[in-house]
Amino acid sequence: MNNTDLRPALLKTPLPPTGADIFTTACDYCIVGCAYKVYRWPVGSEGGEKAAQNAIGVDFPRNPGEGSWVSPNQHNIVSFNGSPHNVVIIPDANTTDVNLGGDHSIRGGSLAQKCYNPDNPTKDRLKTPLMRINGELVPVSWDQALDTVAAVSRHVIDTYGEHSWAMKMFSYQFFENTYALTKLALRHIETPAFAYHDNPSTAEDTPGFRDTGFDNFAASFEDWGMADTLMISGTDPFETKTVIWNQWIMPGIRRGMKVIFVLPRKTTGVAWAEKSGGLHLWLIPGTDTVLQMAISRYIVEQGWEDRPWIDQYTSNKWESDSGFGQGTRNTPWQWRTTWGDFQTNGFEDYKKWLFAVEEAELSNAARITGVPEEAIIRAAELMAKPNMDGSRPKTSIGIEKGNYWSNNYLNTASIAALALICGTGNRPGQMISRFGGHQRGGISGGRYPIEKSPEKFAGRRRKPLDLDRWIESGNVRFAWAVGTTWLGSMTASQDFMKTFVRLTTESPHQIRSVETATADLIARSDAGGMVVVDQDIYLRDPIGSKYADIVLPAATWGEDNFSRANGERRIRLYSKFYDAPGESKPDWWIAAEVGKRLGFDGFQWKDSNDVFEEAARFTRGSRKDYMPLVWLAKQTGKKGHDLLREYGTTGIQGPIRYENGALVGTKRLHDSTLKLDTPQGPTIHSKIMTAFNSQTGKANFMKSPWSHFSDFYEFMKPRDGELWVTNGRIGEIWQSGFDDMLRRPQIMQRWPANFLEIHPDDAAERGIESGDWVVAESERIPVQKGGFIAETTSDASFSGLLKNGHIELTSARVEAVAIVTPAVRKGVSFMFFLHSKDPANSLVARVPDPITSNYRYKLGIGKVSKLGESEYKHSFTQMSFAPRTIV
Amino acid sequence: MNQKPTTCSALGDGMTRRSFLLHSGAATVTIMLSGIPGMAKAAQIPAWVQTYERVRLVRLSDIKRHTPIYFEYPDLSSSCFLVQMDGEAGSGVGPGKDIVAFHNNCTHMGGPLHGTYRQEYGAVGPCPFHLTSFDIRRHGMVIAGHATESLPQVVLEVESDWVYATAMMGLIYGRVANISEEGHE
Repeated sequence: MNNTDLRPALLKTPLPPTGADIFTTACDYCIVGCAYKVYRWPVGSEGGEKAAQNAIGVDFPRNPGEGSWVSPNQHNIVSFNGSPHNVVIIPDANTTDVNLGGDHSIRGGSLAQKCYNPDNPTKDRLKTPLMRINGELVPVSWDQALDTVAAVSRHVIDTYGEHSWAMKMFSYQFFENTYALTKLALRHIETPAFAYHDNPSTAEDTPGFRDTGFDNFAASFEDWGMADTLMISGTDPFETKTVIWNQWIMPGIRRGMKVIFVLPRKTTGVAWAEKSGGLHLWLIPGTDTVLQMAISRYIVEQGWEDRPWIDQYTSNKWESDSGFGQGTRNTPWQWRTTWGDFQTNGFEDYKKWLFAVEEAELSNAARITGVPEEAIIRAAELMAKPNMDGSRPKTSIGIEKGNYWSNNYLNTASIAALALICGTGNRPGQMISRFGGHQRGGISGGRYPIEKSPEKFAGRRRKPLDLDRWIESGNVRFAWAVGTTWLGSMTASQDFMKTFVRLTTESPHQIRSVETATADLIARSDAGGMVVVDQDIYLRDPIGSKYADIVLPAATWGEDNFSRANGERRIRLYSKFYDAPGESKPDWWIAAEVGKRLGFDGFQWKDSNDVFEEAARFTRGSRKDYMPLVWLAKQTGKKGHDLLREYGTTGIQGPIRYENGALVGTKRLHDSTLKLDTPQGPTIHSKIMTAFNSQTGKANFMKSPWSHFSDFYEFMKPRDGELWVTNGRIGEIWQSGFDDMLRRPQIMQRWPANFLEIHPDDAAERGIESGDWVVAESERIPVQKGGFIAETTSDASFSGLLKNGHIELTSARVEAVAIVTPAVRKGVSFMFFLHSKDPANSLVARVPDPITSNYRYKLGIGKVSKLGESEYKHSFTQMSFAPRTIV
Repeated sequence: MNQKPTTCSALGDGMTRRSFLLHSGAATVTIMLSGIPGMAKAAQIPAWVQTYERVRLVRLSDIKRHTPIYFEYPDLSSSCFLVQMDGEAGSGVGPGKDIVAFHNNCTHMGGPLHGTYRQEYGAVGPCPFHLTSFDIRRHGMVIAGHATESLPQVVLEVESDWVYATAMMGLIYGRVANISEEGHE
């Protein structure tokens, strides 16, 4: 670490003077998308402490709880129109929704620090396109870079087909960018070799929700505080959806709401919920399905299910008869029905099946999950036991990656069934949704060409291509990464890096000069190698720094006008307020320039508003439908962005409707209390607004047979002294740490290295103390090779892949600083998931769930041993070993 | 006290904490916080410190371990606490270098941290507003929670059995400067 990067903030913050320019925006980070205001004014003047003397319009000093304080990390100096300007970026204390009263997280609270300033740790933002010439990245012009990208793309597509041209991109970084990039890759190039940042293919995150009929983001934030019982599975919102916790869940708990956390680890929210009468189901990683089925079974055994609601809102035998109630031709993936293992004929059929599931029996479930029988019973009581007066508890359920990234299909299907049993899903305070990770900034500018995917089951049952395995198999000649570290974010990361080395740097065909770049890279692709383009805001290690042949500098948040929805579908304008660094350009512009060079039409946009307006019709009928906004803007002679700007930090919740001259937002989806009249103007009253997302509008009970997972799980379970090395996020670090762990002094001091939480008993056996360097290593990390075509169900199962020689065992080792704490279960350790030097995903199998193609990211394993004392063990300035459970 | 600090430029990385402490008058300076006592390779981390008039707080012999003592510094509307912990702490004073002092308002939204000292963790918290906790063995670093700044630390020194407050490290919640240049309390 470089000490000069640790310069602290000053002890005095300048206030914006009256007359400073004011912009509304929302946070760039987590799903909550808090409201922020940006104050910008030229360097050289300052506002005063009286309300009339500053642009914030409040008196200083601020009193506790008042908000609008300007902390030192909320100020920066940026360039605007080429001249230095102060910016103060603080939560909008007057916003009407989301982060009321000026609340913020540690991430969003420091947004000002993400802005490019050549005098602070953001100084290494990418400013020009780069080309790796004779092994060195050197600046080149946009024309040189783009001409090369287009020419190599054209050669690869024409010679080897669109299957060999791959894009791996963020799914979230603003409507305008995702629309433009997918318009290029999916609508025009039509490649099936396409995947978003968090998944090896274009799979659904929560397919069990999908088959049941639940939208991932149906709930409104207020629902999280309105229940009597809230089950939270696979996340602690205190850490990573901070303001949902602060503004809804905490007040809910204070009002008497009971929170049931389902996690293998305790953090602040878990400890506080427990202390406040809630429950922690401290399960063994990967056993959620069994736990969820056991709770469901206990509820139904007691006769506590919400029978009148089930009768009214779930599919009966006839309604669910074909294609999960979707109709055979509309089932998302037809082969899920073909297997015949998941569909039911309604509640009675599900009940009969559930009562026959051995794993769901109480004592078996307690043994498998590690959760005591009494705790399972208590959870069932809190969620469904009728009160003395016969009324039912209002139960909501929120899940996130700890749930759906350990056993994707079965976990999401079985928790959806638990929700239906509790009468959860379509009423205020009785909702089930994802909490979410990134904000929702995706609009697809083209459909995924499923018919071109080479990955299939017998017959016509294709599924989206696993891009990582497609690369591993040598089928990709050109790969373009946009805003993702790719390798560290996917699994068996260190092994995947070897694949990239083999296909890129070890190729004899390297760029020799700008003039020969196109020919050199074409020669690489003709020789079976892969050309890599990396588009990002920083040079990421290793994809940008080591493997990319061409690096394209992107402009981001605050550097152009963008739009996006948060986790309650709230759509807002994210204002441009300063100059993008150097020659960096927004992603939509880069996609358009490549599109034009490839001869495609429809890329003549002048600004991001053009893209926003064009993309509107691709949202029609979806949860992000903003077509009525763009339509109304045109009626009134405004730009779409400008009308959205008028909605400020409040924005408007999608789907947006036009009613009697005004735009109306939609608080929640599947809302049985919402009454809609005849749609007006371009408004679409899609079924998801008032009913479930199924053919009939009713929800489906889906089965979750453990045998579809147990072979993989038994293989992965720790043995011979191994521990689970599960992984996840903490509040201080946003994703790969590009803004904070790597560039924010206070966070660099807090987390100078990756960490590994380990139980005191496991630590004592290994002689490990807090502050010691440890290594977690494994030589049995399964990686699937080939196996793109399966004739039968068993071909696709883990046992089948093993038997047919499609599983190779690989090795990895990652280092971390130990934190000894009883917050993790014995036998379980926990690491931050996406450290660039020591990615915990290296210890995770690269074998997707055969039902849904999602990785089982949370099920890492390894042998953990001590290396020696770290420099942080006795430090007073770097790292803290105090527990995250102080309540 | 209502002394107006004069702001001078950083005195550079070479300045030792000792020489800083001998610096008289009010000033803003940087000091290097030594990462690990006695270790040559320890990372040295710069910190801004604002010095004010030296204020006598308490006799060493009157401090009871793990019993916080509350006081106002650097002005009368600013509540701080002093505590003797188990073991050495960052910028700790006294024979065991285990006496530290911090401001009482959470740097997230100003929540009162009075009464939240946790001797078993060397921490204060959780803040009653939104549960942020701070490591006071490590200069008030955020352990978990939402504050964008560490908890401001009161720089102490000891002279003939008396503990003195001499400076603030970090900006107090709600303020534009630790002591307003515009002269309000």
